[in-house]
Amino acid sequence: MKHGRFVPALLVPALLLAAADSPSARGADNARKGGTAGTMTVAQLDRQFESTARPFLQTYCVSCHSGAKPPADLDLGAFASTADVLKDGHRVRAVLDRLKAGEMPPRVAKAQPPADARRGAIEWFEAAHNYDIRRNAGDPGVVLARRLSNAEYDYTIRDLTGVDIRPTREFPIDPSNSAGFDNSGESLVMSPALLKKYLAAARDVASHMFLQPKGFSFAPHPMLSETDREKYYVQQIIDLYHRQNIDYADYFQAAWFFKHRVALGKPRATLADIATAQKVSPKYLNTVWTTLEGAKEDVGPAARLQAMWRELPAPSRNQPEAARPGAERMRDYVVQVRKKIEPRFWNLAAGKLDAREEPFLIWKDQQYATHRRSFDPDQLQVDGAVRPLKPERLLPEPGSQGQFGPGHTVLVTNTPGDPDLVVSAAQLARYEAAFARFASVFPDMFYMEERGRNYFDTTKDRGRYLSAGFHNMMGYFRDDLPLYELVLDGAQQKQLDALWFDLDFVANVSSRTYIQYYLFARDARALMEAGRPGGSQPPDEEITASATMAKLEAIYLTLGKGGSDVALQAVRDYFKWADTTIHAVEKARRDAEPSHLDALLDFAARAYRRPLTPDDKQELLAQYRSYRDKDGLDHEAAVRESLVGVLMSPELCYRVDLLDSAKAIRPLSDYELASRLSYFLWSSLPDKELLAHAAAGDLHRPRVLAAQSRRMLKDPRVRGLAVEFGGNWLDFRRFEDIASVDRTRFASFTNELRDAMFEEPARFLTDVFQTNRSVLDLLYATDTFVNPALAKHYGIPIAATQPNEWVHVPDATAYGRGGLLPMAAFLTKNAPGLRTSPVKRGNWVVRNMLGERIPPPPPVVPELPSDEAKLDLPLREMLARHRANPMCASCHARFDSFGLVFEGFGPVGERREKDLAGHAVDVAATFPGGKDAAGVAGLQQYIRERRQDNFLDNVFGRLLAYALGRSLITSDEATIQDMHAKLAATGYRFDSIIESIVTSRQFLYKRGQEDLAQR
Amino acid sequence: MGRSKFTRRTLLRGVGVTMALPWLESLAGFGSVAAAVGTDAVVPGPFPKRFAVLFMGNGVNTENWWAKGSGAAMEFGKTLQPLEPVKSKINVISGLFNKEATGLGIHPPMTGNLLSGVPIQKGAIMHGGISMDQLLANRIGQDTAQASVVLACEQPLSGYHETNFSNAYGSHISWQSPDSPVPNEMFPSLAFDSLFENSGSLRNISVLDRVKERAERLRRQVSSTDKLKLDEYLSSVRDVEKDIERMRADKDKAEDRAKDKNRPLFSMKRPDNGLPEDLRDHTRVMCDIIALAFQTDKTRIASLILARDLSSLYYPFLDVRDGHHGASHNDSSDGYERIVRFHLSQLAYLAKRLDEMPEGEGTVLDNSCVMFMSNMWSGTKHDNRKVPIVTAGSLGGTLETGRVLDYYAAGNDNRKLCSLYLGLMDRMGVKLSRFGDADTRLKDL
Repeated sequence: MKHGRFVPALLVPALLLAAADSPSARGADNARKGGTAGTMTVAQLDRQFESTARPFLQTYCVSCHSGAKPPADLDLGAFASTADVLKDGHRVRAVLDRLKAGEMPPRVAKAQPPADARRGAIEWFEAAHNYDIRRNAGDPGVVLARRLSNAEYDYTIRDLTGVDIRPTREFPIDPSNSAGFDNSGESLVMSPALLKKYLAAARDVASHMFLQPKGFSFAPHPMLSETDREKYYVQQIIDLYHRQNIDYADYFQAAWFFKHRVALGKPRATLADIATAQKVSPKYLNTVWTTLEGAKEDVGPAARLQAMWRELPAPSRNQPEAARPGAERMRDYVVQVRKKIEPRFWNLAAGKLDAREEPFLIWKDQQYATHRRSFDPDQLQVDGAVRPLKPERLLPEPGSQGQFGPGHTVLVTNTPGDPDLVVSAAQLARYEAAFARFASVFPDMFYMEERGRNYFDTTKDRGRYLSAGFHNMMGYFRDDLPLYELVLDGAQQKQLDALWFDLDFVANVSSRTYIQYYLFARDARALMEAGRPGGSQPPDEEITASATMAKLEAIYLTLGKGGSDVALQAVRDYFKWADTTIHAVEKARRDAEPSHLDALLDFAARAYRRPLTPDDKQELLAQYRSYRDKDGLDHEAAVRESLVGVLMSPELCYRVDLLDSAKAIRPLSDYELASRLSYFLWSSLPDKELLAHAAAGDLHRPRVLAAQSRRMLKDPRVRGLAVEFGGNWLDFRRFEDIASVDRTRFASFTNELRDAMFEEPARFLTDVFQTNRSVLDLLYATDTFVNPALAKHYGIPIAATQPNEWVHVPDATAYGRGGLLPMAAFLTKNAPGLRTSPVKRGNWVVRNMLGERIPPPPPVVPELPSDEAKLDLPLREMLARHRANPMCASCHARFDSFGLVFEGFGPVGERREKDLAGHAVDVAATFPGGKDAAGVAGLQQYIRERRQDNFLDNVFGRLLAYALGRSLITSDEATIQDMHAKLAATGYRFDSIIESIVTSRQFLYKRGQEDLAQR
Repeated sequence: MGRSKFTRRTLLRGVGVTMALPWLESLAGFGSVAAAVGTDAVVPGPFPKRFAVLFMGNGVNTENWWAKGSGAAMEFGKTLQPLEPVKSKINVISGLFNKEATGLGIHPPMTGNLLSGVPIQKGAIMHGGISMDQLLANRIGQDTAQASVVLACEQPLSGYHETNFSNAYGSHISWQSPDSPVPNEMFPSLAFDSLFENSGSLRNISVLDRVKERAERLRRQVSSTDKLKLDEYLSSVRDVEKDIERMRADKDKAEDRAKDKNRPLFSMKRPDNGLPEDLRDHTRVMCDIIALAFQTDKTRIASLILARDLSSLYYPFLDVRDGHHGASHNDSSDGYERIVRFHLSQLAYLAKRLDEMPEGEGTVLDNSCVMFMSNMWSGTKHDNRKVPIVTAGSLGGTLETGRVLDYYAAGNDNRKLCSLYLGLMDRMGVKLSRFGDADTRLKDL
C-alpha cells in the first residue's frame, strides 16, 4: 500500500478516530454524548493538570516533543497550564488520539507509562477537549476567501453562459486541503502562471458569445467566424424541424385513437390530449381529423382515403395498435398519390444570363416552396388521356452536368390509365377541386432540409443543409411553408421565424451571399470594375451599397436582354430582395446595440452574484465606451472585451462572499448566504430563485433556507455535490486518470468501461441526494445504476444499448452489487493492477467510510509481489504471515479483514471464484473485536451492528467540512454531536442532514476582523 | 460584427514607423541575447530558423515553368525568370504530388490537404488534418510574439464547390486542427498590429488594470488574513502586467539602441487601414510584413495566400480580361503566364528582401525557407499529378540550394509532398517519424 505522510488528527473529522481503536467504540459514544467522565470545570482541570497530566507529559513526552523543531510540530514543553493547553485546542485532540491509540509514546521508547498513568492522562485530555468543545460551540471559524476551484469555475461558467465550455481543461489540478477537499482557501492559491490561464480562459469563454437581436447568448463552440455562426443556426433550425412529427401514419392512428377513445379507456380525452399523448401536432391532427371525418368526399384521393379510414378496425378491449397497419397503408397511399401529382417548374435563362444565375435559382426555389400544397393538374388523365409534356420542362438543370446529376429536371411520368389519376371530362372541375383539397392537406414535402447541388438529386452531394442550391456559393433558402402552416403552433412559428432571422442577423448571411455572388459574377463584374486599376476586390461596404446594387442590376438587365418577362422580373425581384434584406439587417444590428449593453450589465450582476451598484454599472459602460472610442473597437469587439473584464474580475473568480468585511462576528448577508448555499450544493453560482430570496431578504429564515436547500437537492445541478464532495470523499474524483490497470491482461477495461465506473457512484450519490434517501443507503442499498458497458462487466442483463443510457437496477444483490461498497470504481482504484489489495481496499473502507485514522507504516515494509498469478500462496495467507509480526499486526489487524471480504472481486472489480493464480477465493474475515463474517454482506452486517455510528460521524463531519470550506475545528464537534441526536428520528434522510448544516451557526455566521486578531 | 473589421483598431493609427531590428538588438533569445540587450557583447547564438509558404491556386503555365542547370549556371523558363537574382539560393522542385488530393474531384479537394496530406471530408462538417506550418508553429512558436502569421490577399470563398467539398478547403492552406482552418488575415494593418504593436497585450493590460482596481477596492475592506488571499491575486495580476510591460519596454529599448548606432535599418510604415486598392500593393506589403516579422523574430512561421483556389482576382494591370480562375482554364495563354509570373515574382521579392538582411555571417534568407507552391500543375486539365514548387533559403546551411530537382520518375512512393515536409521539418528542428501519408524523407533533398 501507499504509505501516506503523517496526517494531523484534527483534520480527520470528528470523534470516530478514537472509536476506531476500541472495537467496542465506547470511547466515541461517551464523547459524543458529552461523556460524564470528561466533564470538568476549569478549576478541576487546573488541579488535575498539575497532578496528572503535566507529570505524564514531563515523564513520557517532552524529551522528544519540545525544542525548536519538535516532532509533528508538537511542542508539549509549552503546555505549562490548562490555559496554555487550551490556547491550542486542536492539539489537545492530537495528543488525545495518539494516547488512546497507544501510538505514543512509541513502542520503541524506553519509558513506557503504566496503564493507570495512561488512563489518567487520557481522562484529563478528554475532559479538556470536552471543555474546549463547549466553550467554542458554534464558532464559525476562519474561512478564507478564495478563488473558485477549477470545478466550481467550470460549473459557474456553465450556469452563467448556458453552455458547458469547461475552460479549466488546461489548468493545473487543484490541490486538496487536509480534509481531503479542494474547496478551501487553505489549498486554493493564485499565481501569475495561473492568472495567465484565467486570462486565456476568459478570452476563450468570451469567444463563444454572439450578439442577438435582443441581448447575447453563448454557443457550445467559438462564434468568431461567420461559418461557425452559420453552422450554429442551421443546426438549430434543423433540430426544430426534426422535433416535429410528420409521419402521416401517426396522425391517422391518433385520429383513430380519438374516434375510439371510449373503447380505449380514455373517454374524456380531447383531440388535443390524444395529440399530446401520441406525440403528434395537435394543430395538424385537427386538420387530418376534419379531412377524415368532415364533409364526405365523393371523388378524388380524399374520397379513397376516407373509405380506407372507415375500414380501420374497431379496437377490441386494450388494442391501441390495432389500427397501425391500416394507418400505414393510408400513409403509403397518400405518399404514392402525392408523388404522381407533384408540380414541376422549369429553369429560367435570359439573354447572356444562364440558368445558374442566383436570381433564377431563387425564382425556382420560390416556385417550389410556394406550391408544396398544390398539385399539377396536367397530371390528371382526362378520360384516360395523358397530356403532352411542355417543352420548356426539358431545359437542363443548371450546373448538373456529368457526374453531378441527371442533367435535367426529373419529370413526373405516370402510367397511362392509372386509376389514381383517371378522371372523367364531365366531372373535371369537381375532380380538380377534390385534388386541390387533398393536396392542400397533404403537401408533397413539409420542409426541405438538405439539398444537393442538383435540385432533385440529393443522393450524391449531401450535406448542404437548407441550401439554396447555388452553383459554387453558399446560400440559404427557407422552404418550410407546409410545416409552418400546417404543423407548427403560434409559439413554434415565432421560434422558427426568429431562428431564420437570427441566421441572417448573426451570421450576416444575406450580405455575404450577395457579396459572393458579386465576386463570382464574371462578365458583370468586369463591367462594374472597369476603370478600377488594381485588380483587388472592392470593399464589402462598397459592394452592398444601394447605388452599387442598382448599377449591377442595370448591367444584369442589359445582359438578360431578350429574356422573358418572368426572367427579367426575377432579376429585378432578386436585387430588390437583396437591397431590402441586407439593409434591414444592417439597421437591426445597429438598433440592437443598446440591448447588448443591458445584457452585459445583467451578465455582470449574475457573475458577481449580487445586484450591481451604480458605480459598477458606470464603470462597465465607461469601459465599453473607451474600447470603442479610444481603442477603435467595433461594437461586438467592445462587448466581447468587456465580457473578458467581467470574467476576470475578482467578484467572479473569487468567493468574495467569504470576505470578512465586518469587525466582529456577524451573520452572512442574504446574498452571501445565497452564494454559500449554491457553492455548497451545486458547486456553482446562485440561480434566479436564490437571488430573488436574497433580494427579498428572507433567505436566512430557517424555513426558507430549509425549503431552498430541499429544492436545490432535487435540482440536476446537485450532481456538483455528488462529483465534488463525493468524488473527493471517496477518492474517485480523478478516476479517469487511473493508470494502474494492465489493459493487456484486462482487455475488457476500455475507456468506456472506465468512464462508466466513474459514473456509477456519481449517479448513485446524485440519486440519494435528489430523491432524499437515507445516507445509510450508501452502505446498505441493494440498488445501483449501470449502462451497457458496466452492465456487461457486472453480468447484469439490461435492454439499453447506448453508452449514455443509464438504467436503475433496483436489486443488484444477485450480481454482487448494490450501494457504494462493491462498486467497481473503488475496487479497481484500490487494486494495484495485477492483483487485488485487501490492504488498500480495507484501508479505504476504514478510512473513507468509517473515518478511522490509520498511522503511516514504518519506512521498511515488505512488498507483496505485484502479480497475483505468480503467488504461491493466496494473498490472504501472505497477509496473515505479515500480521504474525506484531509491529505490522497493530495496524493491519485494523483493516486487512475489511479488504479480505472483497476477495470475490478481482483487480478491475469483476466477480470471480478463483484468483489469478487459480486459487479459490475465500471471502471470510474476522473483524476487530472478533466478529466473523463473509463477503460484502458480512461487512454490511458488521457495520450495521457495531460501527454505524462511526460511519455517520464520518459522513456528518466530512459534509460539514465541505460545506464550510475549511477543515473542522473543535467548535464543529458539538454540531456533529447535535446532528447525531437529532437525525436518528428522520432515518438520516439526506435533506435533514443538509438542513442541520445550513442552519448551523457556523454556516450562517462569519468571523470578523477582530475575532481573527484575537486568535 | 464580422465585416466591421474594416474600421477596427484605429487605436494604433499614427504609431508610424516600425523598424526591423537585426537579431542582436531584438530581445528574445537566441543564444545569450539577454546579454546583448544590456551590453555590447556580441554573442553569436544559433539563429532561429523560419519557414514561409506562398500559395497561388489553379496551376501554372506549364510551358514556361522550367529550370535547368545548377548554381550560377541555372537557366529558367520565362515564368521563373524573376528568380535570376537569387538563383544560387533556390531550389526548383518538380514532380511531387499529394496522393490524398487526387481522384476526389477538382479544386477544393486538391487544396484542403495540400499541407497536411490526409484525406478530407465532404459535406457540411469539415475535417482534415493539421497543416505542416501550423504543426511547426505549435512546436516552435512559443518564444515569439505570434506562433505564426497567416495572411491572404484574397477573401475566402464560402459555401460548397460542386464536388460538395466546402470552399473553405480551397480558401485556406493553414489548418490549426483537423476541423478548423486558421482565419486568414487580409488586412495588412491588422497583421502589422498583431505582430509589432502587441495590440493583444495592450488589451490584456487594460483588462488587468480594471480587475486590479476592483481587487484593490475589495482589499481595503477586509481583514489581514483575507488580504493575504486577495494579495495573491493582486500580485499575480501585477506580475502578469509587468511581464507584458517588460516585453514592450525591451522592444523600445532595443529600438533605441539600434537608432543610436545608426544602423541601416529596414523600416516599414504601418500600413493604412483597409484593403489596398491595388493587388500589387497588397502582395508587396504582405511580403514586407513577413520579412520584417522574420528579421525581428516576431514569428518564425508564415503562410500567405497570394491567390486562392478558384481565385476571382482580376489583373487589369497585366492586360488580362478574365478573372484568375477563368484564365487558368486556358493556362497556356500568354495572359495566364503573366499572372503566374506576377505571383512567382512575389517569392523572388520576398527572398531578395530577406537576403538583404544580414544575420551573423549570412542573411536572414540563409536561415529561412520560403516555399512557393500551387495546388495543381495545369489548370486547364485540373491536373495535380504533380505540383510546382520553388524553395528559397537554406535553413542555416542544412538545405543545399541552387539545384533543380525532379522526382516525377522516382515512383509514387518516392515523390510525396509529405516526404518533402518531413525533410523541411527535420531542418526546422521538429523530427517526426510520420506526417500525412509519408514516413520517409525525400531522397537527395
